[in-house]
Amino acid sequence: MKFSLTLALPDKPGQLLRALEPIAKNGGNIISIIHERDKPIEGYVPVSLVVDFLSHQSFRKTIEDLMNLGITIMKSEEVIERLRLTLILVGNMDPRRVIESGIEEMHVINIEMTRSILGEVSARLEIEVPVDSVEKVIHELKRVVVEQGAMLIPPIGI
Amino acid sequence: MRLAIIGFGFLGRNLLKAIWEKISLLRRIDKDFLVVGVANSKGYIYDRNGLNIEQLIISSDLTKHSGFRAKSAIDLIKENLCDIIVEATPTNIRDGEPGLTHIRLALSKGIHVVTSNKGPLVLAFRELMSLAEKNDCFLLYEGTVAGAIPIFSLVKECLQGDRIIRLFGILNGTTNYILSRMFFEEISFEIALKEAQEKGIAERDPSYDVDGIDAACKVVILANALMGRDVKINDVERTGIRGITQEAISLAKKANYTIKLIGTIDKRLEVSPRLVPINHPLCVHGTLNAIHIETDLAREMTLVGYGAGKETVSAILNDIITVLKKRLQATS
Repeated sequence: MKFSLTLALPDKPGQLLRALEPIAKNGGNIISIIHERDKPIEGYVPVSLVVDFLSHQSFRKTIEDLMNLGITIMKSEEVIERLRLTLILVGNMDPRRVIESGIEEMHVINIEMTRSILGEVSARLEIEVPVDSVEKVIHELKRVVVEQGAMLIPPIGI
Repeated sequence: MRLAIIGFGFLGRNLLKAIWEKISLLRRIDKDFLVVGVANSKGYIYDRNGLNIEQLIISSDLTKHSGFRAKSAIDLIKENLCDIIVEATPTNIRDGEPGLTHIRLALSKGIHVVTSNKGPLVLAFRELMSLAEKNDCFLLYEGTVAGAIPIFSLVKECLQGDRIIRLFGILNGTTNYILSRMFFEEISFEIALKEAQEKGIAERDPSYDVDGIDAACKVVILANALMGRDVKINDVERTGIRGITQEAISLAKKANYTIKLIGTIDKRLEVSPRLVPINHPLCVHGTLNAIHIETDLAREMTLVGYGAGKETVSAILNDIITVLKKRLQATS
C-alpha cells in the first residue's frame, strides 16, 4: 500500500539521509521523492515522498520514528488508487435514486441517459471507485438497481 | 473400430458426410474403421460389415433402408455391436435423456463415447467421467461447448502445466447475432430476434438462448472440465438479454464499448450482459463464439470460432480421431 509523506527538513547537510533511515528500517520502498533544495522556507526544505509499505503498521512505526528524530511531518496520508468504470443501467427506474443512494466510496463522474416513450430509461454511468472496493461497490450498486426492477451492465472482468 | 452414430438429425447427417469425405484419413489411422450403425428416435440400421455411407447420405430416412429395426438405440449399444458411439441426440437439460442413458450404458460396457450433447454432461459430469475411467474408455465432448473451437483439446494437450485462473466467453451464437445486429444496425431487440428467427439462427421459442440457459450449460461444463469444479446449472447466476434496449447499446457504443452476453468463471459462475471494449479480443460479432482464458503461466489467450451448426462436426471428428489414435497406441 502506498503512502504520501511531506517532511520539512532543516536546510543543513545530511538531513535527507537521516530522514530516509526510518523508512528503510521499516521496509518502506520509495517510489518517488521530490527534494526542493532551492525552495527553503524559513530555513526548512520541503521533501515529498511516495512510499510503498507492507502494512499500515509499518507506516505508523515510520511516522513514530521520524517524530522521535524531531523531524517535522507536514502531511502523511494513504494514496488510494482509484479505478474509473463505465456502467450501463437499463429499466423503469429513476437514475437519481441510484446516484443518491449513498453507496460508500462511489464517486459519480458523469451520467448520460435517454428515456423511451414507454418511460424506460437507458443510462451510462461513469464512476470512480478505490481499486480495493470495486467488488463491494458493484455488488451494492447492483442491489440498488435490481431493487428498482432495472438491470446493471458492468464491464467484463469486474 | 466399429462406430455407431446415435442421433441422426442435422449434426449426425453432417458428421456422416464428413466421415465419408475423410474416410481415407480415418482408414490410414485405423484400417478396420467402419460405420456399423446409425440410430434415430424411430429405430436403427446396422451392418457388421459396415453401412453404405454414400447411400445413407443420399437418403437419410432410416426407415427406408434395408435392415431397419424399429428398436431403441439402447439395443444397439447393449448388444455390443460397436466400439465407439457418437451421441448426437438433442440436448435436454431437465433429465439429460435420452442421451444420459445412452452414454451411461455405453461407458459401463467399455464403449468409447464422443458427444455433442450438453445435457448429460451438465447433469452428471463427474459421474460419467468416473464411469469412463473405471471402464477404461474415453468420454470426449469437444462439440458440447463453442462448436468448432477446440478449447478442451487446447487446454488438455497444450496447457498441461497451466492453471486456469479465470475464463470469459461468448458461448452462444444466437444472442451474439442479435446483439451484433443491434450494435451495427441500431435496431431493437425485438426486430433483431425476429430477423434471427427468420434466418433460422433463433428457435421459435428463443428462451433457451436469450435467457442465457444455453450459455449457463456451457459454463458448467467448462468449469467442471477445465477448472476442477463440481458445479451444477443452479450454481450459475443468470441474466439474459431480453431487457437490453437499443438505446443502451448506443450509449455503450459512444464510450467505445459494446454489450455482449458473457459467461464468466471466476470466484462466481455467471452468465450476464457485460460491457466489452470494442478493441478487446472477445469483441467478435455475428454468430461467432469466443473464449478468453487467463492462466498462471501463459497469461491471456483468446480463441474465436463458430459455435454451432455444421462446423461442430470438426470437433466431433477430432474426438473420434483422438480415440482411434489413443486406442492404437495402447494396443501397439
